[in-house]
Amino acid sequence: MLAVSPLRNTAAAKDESQEQMESYSSIFNGEFPDFSDGNLLESIDFDDLFVSIDDEQVLPNLEMDPEILAEFSVSGSGGEESDVNTSVSNEKVEDNIHDRKDEEDRFSGSGLDSKILSERDESVVVNPVLPDKYGEKGRKSSAHAKNNSNQGRKKVKVDWTPELHRRFVQAVEQLGVDKAVPSRILELMGIDCLTRHNIASHLQKYRSHRKHLQAREAEAANWSQRRQMYGAAAAGGGGKRDISAWHALTMGFPPITRPMHHHFRPLHVWGHPSMDQSHMWPKHLAHSPSPPRPLPPPPTWHPPPPPPPDPSYWHHHPHVRVPNGITPGTPCFPQPLATRFPAPPVPGIPPYAMYKVDPGIGLQTAGHPGHSPLVDFQPSKESVDAVIGDVLSKPWLPLPLGLKAPATDSVLVELQKQGVPKIPPSFA
Amino acid sequence: MGDDSSASYIHMVHHLIEECIIFNMSKEECMEALSKHANIKPVITSTVWKELEKENKEFFEAYEKRREEKAVQEGDKSTGSKT
Repeated sequence: MLAVSPLRNTAAAKDESQEQMESYSSIFNGEFPDFSDGNLLESIDFDDLFVSIDDEQVLPNLEMDPEILAEFSVSGSGGEESDVNTSVSNEKVEDNIHDRKDEEDRFSGSGLDSKILSERDESVVVNPVLPDKYGEKGRKSSAHAKNNSNQGRKKVKVDWTPELHRRFVQAVEQLGVDKAVPSRILELMGIDCLTRHNIASHLQKYRSHRKHLQAREAEAANWSQRRQMYGAAAAGGGGKRDISAWHALTMGFPPITRPMHHHFRPLHVWGHPSMDQSHMWPKHLAHSPSPPRPLPPPPTWHPPPPPPPDPSYWHHHPHVRVPNGITPGTPCFPQPLATRFPAPPVPGIPPYAMYKVDPGIGLQTAGHPGHSPLVDFQPSKESVDAVIGDVLSKPWLPLPLGLKAPATDSVLVELQKQGVPKIPPSFA
Repeated sequence: MGDDSSASYIHMVHHLIEECIIFNMSKEECMEALSKHANIKPVITSTVWKELEKENKEFFEAYEKRREEKAVQEGDKSTGSKT
């Protein structure tokens, strides 16, 4: 931490500041600010602050927020520190830096803003990436070599903001990823504070990240195929109601689809932790098994109807696949699936797979291969079939949506109007 | 006696319709599916559906709205019948 930290506020504490400034005279190279007009900030040449600090040892190579850095650089500029104190834009900083060039070595009697100082306090150890980034070439006057990475003395970290990265990507795509040469990229980007070296290393990262993404997309395709196979094997999942609910959840849960499109857009915001979508997926997955809708049990539980007088009533649909072939030991498919999703090596895949394949998962009766294409988010015939079969064979199961049932009488009356005298219709 | 089986039958159709709704089907799609997979006359499906609609107006209104929005969303991607 820089010793300067205790420097406090403005006009009121000027004397104090002055004292402290005096004590740091060695740091300031004996130059004294005149604190008369309360603009200490302007007079501080942060270069000089760093002068006594050994380049290599004391200041670690930290990546820094341009805003914080900007506040450093602003110190030498004239009268703009109030803006800078809060949120400094890059442009402002550039201006300030250019202004600073004039006053570099001088303390022109400006007061130091406490806020800046306090922030400086925290971040003071950062290396002056700033000058390099913003084209500050004027710090030559200080003995501070590290500021001038332009001169190739020291590798200064570039902060790849989304804007910067976007321009980079634009340039790369213009040239063609494989043919993109750092020097050309640099030209296309037209930012003179970037060195070819910065571009080169960023390009390397970009390329490797793209490869990684492409590998993941390939995985996604594999996963979806595998899901279909699993769907066939699962064979109705032992007839648990959860299947349809699970299915319903994924089918009727719109938000799942959107993040997936977003995820596969290449490198849109790569490099920024807040946008690391691989962290997002598990959350989505974790949520999806938990029903967004109130699930079956109590509300509309109908007591099991007395055994129908016509037993064939329930079994007269020969073509309906009733999953009787499923042994009780058949695992309930949705659960293992649910736990599996967060686990796969490529976290981004499962929702995609779910999106693609889900209608077929766990809803296919035994013996029916899951070969449905399932490209779109459409119910496959097999899954519909399976669900219907389920309902037919297990009438006691609760209603998935729990809609208010119509009065039997009114239905019957309506049906008679339509020419259906009685139900169930007697056909074999 | 007849009432019981009617009631059960209606209940079954009701249940099946709910499943279709979970599949985001339209009434027509539902009629087709139930006819195909459960041998339920489309008129019966349609009647029960309408009755359900009467009893659950808000739900069905919202459902329709959702379906429309989805149809718009997936208009260019959808290859199947999504009415």
